[in-house]
Amino acid sequence: MPSAPRTLWTVGWFGLLVILQYSLRPMLGWRVQADFLVIALLVIAIRSRPAIAAFCGFVLGVVTDSLVPGAFGAGALAMASVGFAASWLKSVFFTENIALNAIFVLAGKWVFDIIYLLAEHRLGGIDLVAQLFWWSPLSAALTAAVGVGVLLVSSPPVSGHRR
Amino acid sequence: MALPISTRDGFAGGLRTTVMAPLVSLQERAELGRRTFLSHDASIRVADSVALRSLRLQGIEQENAKLRALLGLGALLQWGFVPAEALKGRGIGDEQTLTLSAGRRAGVEPMAPVVSDAGVVGVIERADATMSTAILWQHPEFRVSAMSLNGEAYGMVQAHGGTGADRYFLELRGVLLRSQIPSGAVVVTSGLGGVWPRGVPIGTVVSELKTPDQWARSYLIKPAVALSDLGSVLVLLPSRTRAGVDNVWTSAAGAELAARRIVSSIDSIARLTGDSNSVRQRRVIADSASARAERDTVRKRIP
Repeated sequence: MPSAPRTLWTVGWFGLLVILQYSLRPMLGWRVQADFLVIALLVIAIRSRPAIAAFCGFVLGVVTDSLVPGAFGAGALAMASVGFAASWLKSVFFTENIALNAIFVLAGKWVFDIIYLLAEHRLGGIDLVAQLFWWSPLSAALTAAVGVGVLLVSSPPVSGHRR
Repeated sequence: MALPISTRDGFAGGLRTTVMAPLVSLQERAELGRRTFLSHDASIRVADSVALRSLRLQGIEQENAKLRALLGLGALLQWGFVPAEALKGRGIGDEQTLTLSAGRRAGVEPMAPVVSDAGVVGVIERADATMSTAILWQHPEFRVSAMSLNGEAYGMVQAHGGTGADRYFLELRGVLLRSQIPSGAVVVTSGLGGVWPRGVPIGTVVSELKTPDQWARSYLIKPAVALSDLGSVLVLLPSRTRAGVDNVWTSAAGAELAARRIVSSIDSIARLTGDSNSVRQRRVIADSASARAERDTVRKRIP
């Protein structure tokens, strides 16, 4: 059972990342942007069990989907899936390697985009292909760069085996 | 996605108005800040441009006023003149001469009068095909026959000369002893000699000069035309000079003189009756009429 201060620390970082999603991202206005919500979910996922991570992902996805009524539920599905998978993978293997952490975040963001784009049924054809294999990987790479920094700052390196 | 649309929309709407409302507000402010940041440089450029234009605005307004006055003068004269741009140089002596953009082809001839809406500027010295040179009233060789507005005193106006501020004045010489001109009186061209038409303002009397001459008076004249402000002028053709320009400048000068007479009459009446309030009111009315007459100096006459 995680200690209360550690939980508060995690929740604080989660809140900060959510705020950055709705403040820094629109302020920058870049075509390729980091997804702070995915990073926030991963921060939760690496410190909790898969079920809790999936639940947190689901709630986070439902709340953010309220701004996209046409694809309501796609984000919840993607977030829940990524949260569960991230927590499960984190419990399977241990890594203190920054590069592996970056791949972890990159994969998380890319998988999120894949699930989300396929679930919302908005894009098709060449647009979907371009988004999946060009813009999403770029966004995932930027998210990974930011996410590694956040993971390093927000907690000690990822421990392999949870006690 | 499996929920009915109505349920989905209702649920999403509830989340938007509760949990997401502060985050949406945050996003709105962030986007507003981004737009402001991106438009900052453009706003600075616009502000600098506006500041620069406002600096030039006063000069443009003055030039516009002068051009309007000159246009009005042209409308009053109606014929017999050539408009010209004054091209001022920077060399020594250029403050006494003026290059004009009109020459013989436009009808400009040597000894033709050069005027502005305020009055006497100078006289043409030489005329080329497309440009001409004039000597200004400040030139030591400039002369013009003059008279007081009421026609009681005649003399000859020339540059006062000297150094410093003295060179910006004129002198009215040869006025008979019996003819005394008060300070502030308007002096106009007399038309004698055939070079200048009668009635073009030269300036106003500042004071009487003490000279060795015992048979005539001399007066210091403040010129009507400030040479530093010259932009566009009119050159009167010989035919216009012969025909005269009596009703162009003297109407406003005469109105001012009439206003002064009204004021002095009111004062006399007030002294007799002891009514100071009516004097102030009537003086205000008379002064405003005088000011309006000055503005309407070159207003187009209503036939």
